[in-house]
Amino acid sequence: MANRTDPAAKSIRGTNPQNLVEKILRSKIYQNTYWKEQCFGLTAETLVDKAMEIDHLGGTFGGNRKPTPFMCLVMKMLQIQPEKEIVVEFIKNEDYKYVRVLGAFYLRLTGTDTDVYQYLEPLYNDYRKLRQKLPDGNFALTHMDEVIDELLTKDHSCDIALPRIKKRWTLESLGTLEPRRSALEDDFEEEEEKDEDDQIMDDVDNGAHEKDYYRGRSPNRERDRDRKRDSHRYRDRDYDRERGRGRDRERDRDRDRDRDRERDRYRLRDEKEYGRERDRDREREGREWERRDRDRGRRRSYSRSRSRSRDRKGRDGGDRRKRHARSSASPRRHGDGMDNGSTRDEPKKKKEKKEMKDDGTDHPDPEIAEANRLRASLGLKPLKV
Amino acid sequence: MIEVVLNDRLGKKVRVKCNEDDTIGDLKKLVAAQTGTRAEKIRIQKWYNIYKDHITLKDYEIHDGMGLELFYN
Repeated sequence: MANRTDPAAKSIRGTNPQNLVEKILRSKIYQNTYWKEQCFGLTAETLVDKAMEIDHLGGTFGGNRKPTPFMCLVMKMLQIQPEKEIVVEFIKNEDYKYVRVLGAFYLRLTGTDTDVYQYLEPLYNDYRKLRQKLPDGNFALTHMDEVIDELLTKDHSCDIALPRIKKRWTLESLGTLEPRRSALEDDFEEEEEKDEDDQIMDDVDNGAHEKDYYRGRSPNRERDRDRKRDSHRYRDRDYDRERGRGRDRERDRDRDRDRDRERDRYRLRDEKEYGRERDRDREREGREWERRDRDRGRRRSYSRSRSRSRDRKGRDGGDRRKRHARSSASPRRHGDGMDNGSTRDEPKKKKEKKEMKDDGTDHPDPEIAEANRLRASLGLKPLKV
Repeated sequence: MIEVVLNDRLGKKVRVKCNEDDTIGDLKKLVAAQTGTRAEKIRIQKWYNIYKDHITLKDYEIHDGMGLELFYN
């Protein structure tokens, strides 16, 4: 039968390796056309060829929850159970990033704890982009290190429940693993020196900005190297394979040209004006964020004053006082509460009270209050009556 | 606020309070919180119509007390 596990395969975590994928998903994979056509009678060698052809990773998608080819290949690997050397080869190979992810995923499912940390942590240094298929059918951009992080820290990935592994510090205290040495350690020292300059900026920055900032700064060198490497590879191999098939040569060439132009623009910007431009931009953006926050606050109190007529006088009074205090157009820093410290407290208290009621968690009916608490924890709005 | 009943015909019957303008995705999160399954694994159907995540209950004309079928992905 085509779906039986290889009789020579060892049992993993006490069960048939294919049982690592739960029943419903397993049946979906067995019924999938890709599995039936392409994955029939694959061996370790032919599996490599198939793995080189995949171009996106993901779990199931669509209303029927159709599995991706990535899933089918993972299942195939669980079925034939290749040896550890082969899996390590998959992970070590630098050319095909999806083969790498496939190997990493398989190792995470089947390997011992030490092996998992040992082989997957070096992949944190790989910043290449990956295409991920979301459950609703669209594609999203992700990076190799994000995927590895998900594998090591979360307990679900690509619709498969990942087996539990011991935490890193447990293994370190047992002595089977050494404490983690990040590849960014040298860059960390640089950052600490520059921290003083950037402390002010950090207060004002948005969370998303910090993430970009972090990634942009330290692995910049490696990223440039990767980008250069990737540009050749992306253009020649992956790009041609993914897009070149069955399309006009001309269209390819045009797209190539556009892509080159875009990339050159980015590279120029990065290489030339990196330090200064970035800092200046961030300051400017920081100021805009502050202004936007302030405007949002003011707008919120404004609309609320319209709905509650009784409180209007108090509201407007507070606002008017606020507006008076901020007569200058120059941006205010967070700590600068001298002028409007007192006036800020009052509207804030009123706002807090209103927010409690808006949340609905203190509704008189305990059932509704309970439901609202759950909804708030999930990020939903409270129940309407 | 409406209350919807979800039944998977294998023993799990759940009553969930929600708003009419909640999406099916939100409803799945609420059901997941109550049953303990993961929200992505839940599929809500009515006969053979699989309900999509981004459409609101109001648009599906799901009223108070209505029963839906609970399946798993």
